[in-house]
Amino acid sequence: MNNVNGKKLRERLAQEEILVVPGAHDVLTAKIIEKVGFEAVYVPGYGTTASVLGTADVGLMTLTEMTKRVTDMAEAVDLPIFADADTGYGNAINVQRTVRAYERAGASCIQLEDQVAPKKCGHMAGREVIPMDEMVGKIKAATDARLSEDTLIMARTDAYTDHGVEEAMERLHAYVEAGADVVLLESVETEDEMRASTKQFDVPAMANIVEGGQTPYLTADELQELGYSLVSYPSTAVFATAKAVTDAMSHLLENGTTRDYFDALMTFDDFNDLVGLPEVREAEVKYGTGRHFND
Amino acid sequence: MIKNRLKEDEILVVPVAHDALAAKIIEKVGFEAVYVAGFSSSASVLGKPDVGLLTMDEMVNRVANVREAVSLPIFADIDTGFGNAINVQRTVREFERAGASVLQMEDQVSPKKCGHMAGREVISMEEMVGKVKAATDARRSDNTLIMARTDARTDHGIDVAIERGLAYQKAGADIIFIEAVESEDEMRQVTEAFDVPVMANMLEGGKTPLLTNQELEQIGYDVVPYPLTTVLATAKAVEAAMQELFDKGTTRDLFEELMLFDEFNDLVGLKDVQEKEALYQTGRDL
Repeated sequence: MNNVNGKKLRERLAQEEILVVPGAHDVLTAKIIEKVGFEAVYVPGYGTTASVLGTADVGLMTLTEMTKRVTDMAEAVDLPIFADADTGYGNAINVQRTVRAYERAGASCIQLEDQVAPKKCGHMAGREVIPMDEMVGKIKAATDARLSEDTLIMARTDAYTDHGVEEAMERLHAYVEAGADVVLLESVETEDEMRASTKQFDVPAMANIVEGGQTPYLTADELQELGYSLVSYPSTAVFATAKAVTDAMSHLLENGTTRDYFDALMTFDDFNDLVGLPEVREAEVKYGTGRHFND
Repeated sequence: MIKNRLKEDEILVVPVAHDALAAKIIEKVGFEAVYVAGFSSSASVLGKPDVGLLTMDEMVNRVANVREAVSLPIFADIDTGFGNAINVQRTVREFERAGASVLQMEDQVSPKKCGHMAGREVISMEEMVGKVKAATDARRSDNTLIMARTDARTDHGIDVAIERGLAYQKAGADIIFIEAVESEDEMRQVTEAFDVPVMANMLEGGKTPLLTNQELEQIGYDVVPYPLTTVLATAKAVEAAMQELFDKGTTRDLFEELMLFDEFNDLVGLKDVQEKEALYQTGRDL
């Protein structure tokens, strides 16, 4: 099996310029991310859980639910997709199923973390990590399982918060040795530690910026200067949507109408363009479905 | 109970939630009911237009997740019933089991299109009458309401649409929805024609004039959804946020446009989770 986007991603990560990867909590958001011009998109556990279930990021989403999301996203955008696979939804055996499912669904880079299941969001308290050796086993299982050598496996460690930077770095080294293609030192707190962490690896290192979370809000350029190859913004869009929807619904409740609210809304026509209605209408004509656009 | 609520004078406003997060916000802001509907669900789940791509079980799953996320009664768009009268019976029971209180079914030819798009056709009145009967026969509880929508107005005129609505009312529909009316006069014709509650439809940029909820109530409507508001608001806000990130390589100047981490965690109930972790001794508490 080929992973064309995986290959593209590997080539892109070899370039100097940092790759910015926004998170898409739903497929509409992914389309917007593509439209704006980003080169890749991330399926985040935190935002997807909020959108699909309306709950907190505490390991409630299942493999099949996340695989469906990857599938639908791969159908909607052409960008390489990074996908959060949490702890792999079990042990190394589960990890093998997970990697292949995500890969077939269209993911280019699959992110696994060394938390005890059920996982928690990386900027929350109360996380624990599994033994390093067990995670090494999971990484090996992941790289053995992938159908294409171009599919990337990202190893994240959650050890920093409760065990400190040295433990976290030791783990990441072990995961790289086990075959990880990308590393993520989750919720690191100081620039010095960030700088030290990126230099030690031959593989790309990812930063992770959460608005209101632990990691310093450096710009993409500053992160590149620290040695990062990529940076994800997993929650910006879902935080923006939460504010926008709250404001819109409050307005509707208080004013009893939205006819004076158009400045805060994308127009119906623009929205239909965004989700590809014109292309659908062309296809209807091309394939003789009947009931065409007759305006 | 929606049945009783619709007997009250005050119009019931039911915003559509394009996802479970929006549903939670709708509940938090203070609305009495929430809608799960095809246009915004197609956009959120598939990134595609409302042209009959979502399957029955995808929509049922959305309803089930919203049911778990909020305590509000749920109105659910069941499109054309996802087939003929036989399919309708399966559909009704699935949506009912998932927790919807009101099921909205329309008389379009499948695959349906959004009610404010061109290129819609309607099935015969008789066939839709059959589907309405199949729906009311299928439900397990009388508290599950069947709303019949007609798409006939756009291509066949208001009189045909009302005639169809009356046939569906006679067949047992609990609520009637004449889609895409084009004037206040038509609205009055609609509300005067029926004994059962009638639903309006407010789309920002659609075919129907945008009136206030109070004006709709005065015209005689009993319930009104807002199918696009959350998804149009989210599209605008997300595009602005992504553009800023693209242009500046950071979101640190964007914080006023965002609900930040702590507040967002409150919204999705992290505190409740943490209390339960302590109560049920899951270990690894905060």
